[in-house]
Amino acid sequence: MAEITMYHYLVLGLVLFLAGILGSMIAKNVIKVLISIEFMLTGININFVTFASYCDNANFNGYVMALFYVGIGAVELAVALYIFYLMFQKKESDNIEKYSEL
Amino acid sequence: MTDLILDNVYLILLLPFWIFLIIMGGRFFSVYVNKKIIYALTLLSSFLGILLCGATLIKMPPTIEQSFPFIKINNFILSFGLHIDKLSLIIALVLFLVSFCVQAYSISYMKTEAKSYRFFALLNLFNFSMAGLLFSPNLFQMYAFWELVGVVSYLLIGFEYKKNEKSEASRRVFLVNRVGDTALLGGILAVSYFMYNYAGNFSFTTLDFEDMNAISTLLYAYTSTLQFYLISLLFIAGAAVKSAQFPFHIWLQDAMEAKLPVSALLHSATMVVAGVYLVIRLLPMFMLEKNLLIITGAIGLVTALVCSILACIETHPKKVLAYSTSANLGLMFLALGFLNVKAAVIFLVAHAFIKAMLFLCLPKDDEKITYANFITFLVGALSLSGILFSGMVAKELIFAGLEGQTSLAVIFCLVAFFTAFYIIRLALLLVKDRELVKTFAPARFIPAVLLLVMNIVFYFYLKHEVSYKVAEPFWAALAAWGAVYFVYRKGLLTRFTKTPRFVEDFYYKTLPAVYERVASVCSFVDVIIFANYKPLISCAKFKVRVVGWVEENIMNRSVSLTASGAKKISEWDFKLQSRNVQSYNAYGFILITIIISFVIITYTLVLSQLS
Amino acid sequence: MITNPIIFYSATGLIFVFTMLALCFKNLIYSLLSSVVVFFGAALIFYLLGSEYNAIIQAAIYGLAVPVIIGVSIMFTKGKHEAGKGFTLPYLTMLFGGIFVLAFVYLMMMSLAIMPDTFHLMGLAQTTSMDNISAFSKGIFVNYVWAFELVSLLLTIVIAGISIFKKRGA
Repeated sequence: MAEITMYHYLVLGLVLFLAGILGSMIAKNVIKVLISIEFMLTGININFVTFASYCDNANFNGYVMALFYVGIGAVELAVALYIFYLMFQKKESDNIEKYSEL
Repeated sequence: MTDLILDNVYLILLLPFWIFLIIMGGRFFSVYVNKKIIYALTLLSSFLGILLCGATLIKMPPTIEQSFPFIKINNFILSFGLHIDKLSLIIALVLFLVSFCVQAYSISYMKTEAKSYRFFALLNLFNFSMAGLLFSPNLFQMYAFWELVGVVSYLLIGFEYKKNEKSEASRRVFLVNRVGDTALLGGILAVSYFMYNYAGNFSFTTLDFEDMNAISTLLYAYTSTLQFYLISLLFIAGAAVKSAQFPFHIWLQDAMEAKLPVSALLHSATMVVAGVYLVIRLLPMFMLEKNLLIITGAIGLVTALVCSILACIETHPKKVLAYSTSANLGLMFLALGFLNVKAAVIFLVAHAFIKAMLFLCLPKDDEKITYANFITFLVGALSLSGILFSGMVAKELIFAGLEGQTSLAVIFCLVAFFTAFYIIRLALLLVKDRELVKTFAPARFIPAVLLLVMNIVFYFYLKHEVSYKVAEPFWAALAAWGAVYFVYRKGLLTRFTKTPRFVEDFYYKTLPAVYERVASVCSFVDVIIFANYKPLISCAKFKVRVVGWVEENIMNRSVSLTASGAKKISEWDFKLQSRNVQSYNAYGFILITIIISFVIITYTLVLSQLS
Repeated sequence: MITNPIIFYSATGLIFVFTMLALCFKNLIYSLLSSVVVFFGAALIFYLLGSEYNAIIQAAIYGLAVPVIIGVSIMFTKGKHEAGKGFTLPYLTMLFGGIFVLAFVYLMMMSLAIMPDTFHLMGLAQTTSMDNISAFSKGIFVNYVWAFELVSLLLTIVIAGISIFKKRGA
């Protein structure tokens, strides 16, 4: 077990991002897709915070950006869930393949 | 020296153009749907034009020059800007006065028409182009605005372009005007050529009006007499076509398809005036040869006589007024032929007020004329025939300028007689079959009365400034009234209604026939000589064979290959488009991965090369 | 900043495992619960990186608020689940995608290994949490005040919009 460097955190963020992409591509349930998208955002946040901690001791701009991402991610999730609610009332299903026709 | 008005005279020119842009752009982007804004802006532009022109005229500067270099080719520096002197200011003031009344009139006239915003925008553009023509510092800029006036008149005459006869009439007007434009352009280029090659001073090449005397003298010195005559005749032809003089007066008849306000504007202060203005500007050139002045005057006199006689036979009210415009412009040309510029300008102003008023008094085609309008029309008719107000003064001034040549004086009195005759005949025709109506439409009536007031004010100004005496034309006009009364009592008013159409027939029938004959002769050469020359034919056959082979084997193949390839690609692509969001997501991810991989590879390679 | 390998690797392992679980559970509630664990793990990672404020926000929003609304929407759909028809995306595409992902990760690692000095590391500054908070406030209220206002405006718009939609629907 060597010393923990910046790259360890970066790889962690990358893996979380890739897992989110994989989930958003293969999941058949809309809610699962949304959760996967949240995973992607979390991975990106980890990236931001890592760079801020290791490369930017003066301003911590990455922290601020991560904060904004959390806020915007919450907004996006709320809007997406409302759209899902409307679509669910119409299609009566949460299977994403049913949503292929508009 | 800073002067609020003199520094901002360019507003006279630019304001109508801005309003035009605002109206067109605002309608295009659906900003100003409200029509009242358009009306207010249009009226404001011409009203401000009146104020600015009047204020500048009161200040009376010698000349104002505001220009910037527009085109620079070595020594040839063409400037674009303003050259304002008293002449152009007076005509511009009249232009804005008349167009203010006409625009106020057309608000009620165009109320029910579709797309009336375009009409108002074009009226503004008309003002802009005419003011630009009046304020041009050199002949080149004047030519540009000259063309612009033609284009805008084309657009306005063909305003209802969906009606076939209107669009055809506008096209004819434009084509006839092109003849004059081409002549004018030829003249400008010829003078410019001589100035560039022979004159020592390159600033003469741009043909500024300021240097017109020097340019004329130089041109006279450097060209042979024939060349000088040709160049000057080109200019005279351009002016004559624009002012609807004798051989080309037919376009004014076609222009009668336009709406009433357009006719009022076109006949009074905008389009036809341009020719007279050009002749006034170029008088230094014509003065050098006596014959040129004689030609100018002769054109005017012939036009005045012919068109007055034709107007006595015509029954359509607008066409009568069109002939009358041609005739009166002929009188202006006559005055210019005698170097009587003052009388010509006074007659121009008086004619502008009178003719616009007469047009505004006419009813629409399907309406009856009202009492108020008819009385105004009669007053205008009296003024036009030279019995009342400024029309009388202007006519007497022109008559006094004839220098007592008896034959000319007789013809002039004849013209005055016919003028009075046809205008009163027209007034009688207006009420002959139709009854007068008592309804009072102030929106249609007030602009005409405004023009009448201007006419009267101008008359008192002339009375104060100019000395004149009542002479033969006045009595000739009075005699015409008696003659009309006689003819009317006898019931002969509409006896001779068949207008001779010699000139029209010459243009529309003879010329095409001649053209066809020439074309058939040319085709005869083609058919007889080239078709029987053996080597030519065999060569053509060989060429056809080669071309056919190339087309079949190379062109067609490649085209069909491209088509089938595109079809295959599209079929393959169709399968990819599964309407599934997630598969699109996957494609996007793969593409981005490829791109970023390439970026990283390049980045690493470059950096490793550097280190 | 805490640079203890044991804590880091355990947190990372927790995140990996629960990410995979969240993707693999068929029951949505289990999937949601494991994703909550992942979000809390991310908050822990933020804490390890020395950003307590981010960690608190992450735990509050992603750990508590977001699962609540997702859970509410799962309750909407309860009883109407359709069994997934399985994996319909073309296998070939997935294979290529996986190869590209692997190549991407490999390239990232390679580039980092070749150029370790590309990032200008400042060294680990020992900052207190007060410093972080003041840097935060400076970032939010001075450097990025327009972005902050924009995000708050967006939040307001979303709240107002959803209430309006609800009224219209009713």
